[in-house]
Parts: sequence; structure tokens; C-alpha cells
Amino acid sequence: MLGKMIGKVALERTLGKFLEDDSHLVLGFEEKGKEVGHRIFKNDLKGFTLVNPFFSANGALYLRRLFSKGAEIILMLRPCEIRAYHELVKLNQIEAEKIVAVSIDCAGASSLKDPGKPRTACQSCREKRGVIGDAGIRFDAKGVPWLLPYTEKGEEFTRLIEGEAEEIPPFPDKEERGTEKFSTNMEAFSEELAHCIMCRNCKAMCPVCYCIDCVFNGDEYLPKGDALLNKVFRSGSLEMPQGKELFHMIRMFHVSQVCVGCGACEEACPQGIPLTKYFKGVSERLQSMFSYMSGRSLEEEIPYLSFQEDELKDAED
Amino acid sequence: MTEEKEKNPEIVGFACSFCTFKASEMAGSLRMKYPDGIKLIQVPCSSRVDPAFVIKAILDGADGAFVAGCHPGDCHFIKGNYFTRRKIAALKEMFDAFSMKDKLRLFWVSAAEARRFVEKVTAMYGDIKEKKNAG
Ligand code: SF4
Ligand code: SF4
Ligand code: SF4
Repeated sequence: MLGKMIGKVALERTLGKFLEDDSHLVLGFEEKGKEVGHRIFKNDLKGFTLVNPFFSANGALYLRRLFSKGAEIILMLRPCEIRAYHELVKLNQIEAEKIVAVSIDCAGASSLKDPGKPRTACQSCREKRGVIGDAGIRFDAKGVPWLLPYTEKGEEFTRLIEGEAEEIPPFPDKEERGTEKFSTNMEAFSEELAHCIMCRNCKAMCPVCYCIDCVFNGDEYLPKGDALLNKVFRSGSLEMPQGKELFHMIRMFHVSQVCVGCGACEEACPQGIPLTKYFKGVSERLQSMFSYMSGRSLEEEIPYLSFQEDELKDAED
Repeated sequence: MTEEKEKNPEIVGFACSFCTFKASEMAGSLRMKYPDGIKLIQVPCSSRVDPAFVIKAILDGADGAFVAGCHPGDCHFIKGNYFTRRKIAALKEMFDAFSMKDKLRLFWVSAAEARRFVEKVTAMYGDIKEKKNAG
């Protein structure tokens, strides 16, 4: 496979040139003192950095319901962010036509709440390599970045960078650990949700939990007011806030094929609930039933939106 | 254990109005008996059952739930039950992850299969009742 060795300077010069056009944008990371966060760069690349040692949110979140407006955008994000972007494209939440998605080799990230320590999500990350999207940035054994095109759009982007493409070196990939089948029980789950205050921040920050009209918006699933009293009169005393397990389990099923295991939900939780292990654990089990991996490619169909006539006989009772 | 102390489970069944629900009506008109604890909810197609309904039924206290529709290949809406199968199979896997796989079943029962309907729901009721009374 061919790729281009890219110095930071060459890359920034190229992105800088791309940004000269007023309708061109780059979504990537910005370094600001000790902090690193997302920024949509317009016109110039001031503060741009390839790597972000912290995880605060999944960048794909900001792209939800993006229907172009004539903008051309280059995404320079982590694999879990490009994967979420792919799922949103498949769910018709993003128009991909004018977007070039570049995933960058990720060394894992730590929480802003606990700097220096790798997050649960990163410790069990399924894809840390920049092999997702239209192109990838991979670091060779010496830490030098390479740009590798994976699609037509990626090829075009690579051509913008000076120099000849050459045969790529081997990249120092760590052996991926096989994940164990996640298993728990309701008692343990309820116990861990004890401090959940139902603020639903986890839902708000999940990149792939995109429904405008969430089932939890009305009073049907989590009744309020008269509906709540009706429920109490009908079935007895109720714990408050109610419906913690219900909320999380329904959300867990709804995102099960598209959850990228990024842990943004846990990051967003003010109560420190260990959500990643449940959402990631369950979704990996449910995806593996269909040999699916969320966000791995734009072409693979989301399992619930498709079927085979002859399958899953075991599920029938 | 005396008759009064025996705990009777409640099971919520989501039944497609074109087949399984019809089968239940036929079972009724043929005076076949099935347990009172089986509460049927008629849905326009088994694929209309958002797994959220099932999760809510269980977490709100049902001892079990089932989703039932036409046999694969016979869906009134041509392909609905193939989607049902994927979703419910995945939901079973999720229930398994929470150690409660035995609470959920998926049946195919056509409109003509009153006897099959009664057998399926009675067997499920029996199994769940046994567990409920065991511990
Ligand atoms: S989940 Fe994976 S890709 Fe995302 S920040 Fe962690 S290691 Fe990187
Ligand atoms: S459920 Fe959590 S881990 Fe999964 S995609 Fe959403 S934020 Fe990421
Ligand atoms: S963010 Fe945390 S406290 Fe808020 S609803 Fe989610 S789990 Fe509960």
C-alpha cells in the first residue's frame, strides 16, 4: 500500500491552504495552554494539534443533523469519533458527500476528571488505529506520521500534500485483546445506578443517540404529574427518581448496534456512574451476533435495518 | 405448598393482529384454555414491537414477556417478522447479559394454529411459574 510521510509542517501547510476557501472547514483538536479540545477551524489553523490526550466528548456529536450548507469539511479525529460519524451517515443524520474523514492513530485518552489515567473505554478499545474513514494518519516506529488513503476522497486529499507517495512501513500495532462476553445481573446494575440522578446527560452527549423525539421526552415511559400519580395508585409506591434501569436499558438497546464504545456517556455523567462497561459490553455482544462492528465501514448495513431469510433459528421458541 | 400461597406469574404477550392474535381468538372460540396470567397486547405487526415495550413490561413487573407473529415468510407486511427476529434475538442476548434470558420468548404462530398458540403460552407460563415458586 502507498502512503505519504507527512511532517507536521507539511500537513498544516496543506490544511492551511485548504482553509483559504471560505466554505472550507477542518474539525479537529486545538491546543490551548494545557487544555486540548475540539475546534472547527475556519480560515486558519491556529492551535491545531493532531493528538488529544484527553477525552471530553465524541466529536461526531457536533456533526449530527449536518446537511452541508455548501461547506466542505475535513475531519481530523480519533477512530472512535470517525466510527460514530460513519454510523450517523448510515442513519441519514449527516450528508457525507463533502466530508473527508481522517482517523488518527490513537494512544488512548484520559478523562478530564482523572488526568493521566486511561479511561475504561480506551483500555478496551476495539480500534485504536487510524484505519477508519477516507484516510488515516498512522505513526511509524519512530513516531513519524504517515497519511494513508482508503477511498477516492482520501486519495484526493493525499494528493494535496506535497511529495511522492511511497510504500508504507510496518506500523507498531499492539495485539488486540479478544473481549470477554460481558455479563452482569439486575441487582448489580441497580446498585451501580444508585447515584444516578436521571439528568440524562449521558444521552445528550452520546454521539449516536440521535432521535429528535426521544421516547423519554413524553410521559409514557417516565410518567410525571397526574400520569405519575396514576401509576402509583395503580401499582404502589415508587422509588424516586424512578425508571433508572428502564431508561438505561432502553437506551442501551436502542444504541446497541451503533454504539462505538467511546465512553462519552460516562465522561458526561456528573455522578461517576460506570456506564461504559454496560453500554460497550452489551453492544459488543449484540453486534457480534451479526459480525458487525459499528462504524468500521460506511458500506456495512446496520443489522436492525436488514435481515437474511435463513438465520437466527436459535432465537425462535 | 397450599393452593392460596402459590404465586401466579403475569406474562405480557405482544401478538400480531394478523396471525397470533387471531389464533388466540380462535382458541377462545374453540373453548381451549390458557392461563389467565397471559395478557395479550395486539400489535399491527410483530415488528411494531419496539424492544423498549418489552423492557418496560419486564421492569414494570411482568414475570415474562413474549413477542409473537406470523411464521417467517408469511408476514402480512411481507418482511416485518424478519426484522422482528433480528431485534428480538438481540434483545434476548441483552437479557442474557443481565442474567434474565428466561423472561423472554419469541413465537411464530399463524392464524390457523390455535393449538400451537395454547401450547406455546402454556409451556412458557408453566416454566415461569415453576421458577417463581421455586425461590
Ligand atoms: S475509545 Fe479508542 S479511539 Fe476513542 S479515545 Fe479511547 S483509545 Fe482512542
Ligand atoms: S452509549 Fe456511550 S459508549 Fe456508546 S456510543 Fe454512546 S456515548 Fe459512546
Ligand atoms: S449522566 Fe449519569 S446521573 Fe445523569 S442520567 Fe446518565 S447515568 Fe444518570
